[in-house]
Amino acid sequence: MALTIAGMALATYLTRAPLLLALARRPLPARLRLWLRLIPLAVLPALAVPMVLAPGGQLVASAGEPRLWGAVVVFVLAGRRVNLLVSVAAGVAVVAALRAIG
Amino acid sequence: MPSVFVYATVFGGLAVQAGLHVVEVLAMSVLVFAGASQFVAVPMIAAGASPLSVILTTYVVNMCHYLMAATLAPSFGAFSRRRLALIAHVVIDESFAVAVSRSRPPDAAVFLGSAAAIFVAFVGGVTVGTLIGGLVAEPERYGLDFAFPAVFLALVATRLRHRRDWLVAVGSALAALAIAVRLPGNWHIIIAGLTVSGAGALFGDPEDTA
Repeated sequence: MALTIAGMALATYLTRAPLLLALARRPLPARLRLWLRLIPLAVLPALAVPMVLAPGGQLVASAGEPRLWGAVVVFVLAGRRVNLLVSVAAGVAVVAALRAIG
Repeated sequence: MPSVFVYATVFGGLAVQAGLHVVEVLAMSVLVFAGASQFVAVPMIAAGASPLSVILTTYVVNMCHYLMAATLAPSFGAFSRRRLALIAHVVIDESFAVAVSRSRPPDAAVFLGSAAAIFVAFVGGVTVGTLIGGLVAEPERYGLDFAFPAVFLALVATRLRHRRDWLVAVGSALAALAIAVRLPGNWHIIIAGLTVSGAGALFGDPEDTA
């Protein structure tokens, strides 16, 4: 665990320090800037959607899966600019409620 | 600032719930100090992912710091390299957003003041969260295991502006799903995340960066 945390700290520092220390005078090339902006937009769904629809590599077959409906609620609320934590809490509540029923 | 504190409290609570030790959660928060990537790492660690895959995924999630560091750099010409090496650790999107919204180029003092306040709020929030998190038994019963993907989906939903953003997000989700059901481990995150965003940057309009 210490190795993982140290590695995470180093990897993160390597995203912050080089360009600040280089005191870059010129902005990054436009396409590179666009790529860096798009990475979180690609990484976050790449992470979240399999967690919801294929936990452990097994595709969820049922439309009654609580996490599926929790995900829909979170996505719609946050997309309508509802506070992030309120959106997350609503999704969590939906999952808990569906699990309690089913 | 209060929102950072609450967000950090939620992180601390969930990380302890996921099985990390309080000391590990605090060490990560001080040493990594990048909320989204910490949210990403915790469920991976809890699921027994290899250190290498956690570290590489952290790197990819935090690559957007390059953009912030490059934008901030011209404002920090008066600082010694030793100072800059320390300041680099607090390059974080909340303070960046504050500094850039006040002035262009961003003001170094505004950025540093905001970064210091956010560091205190973040680490304080995580500390409180680890204390609360230990109190909840049966997290699955309350849907708390779903909080991690919920945070990621909420972060994506708030960032979708252009049609291109939607194409990248949906494309990456589908690609990751297709890879995840075939390839064991967590490589689908990095593979889909880097290639689909790369495709978006290659075929998108680079001037359209609003």
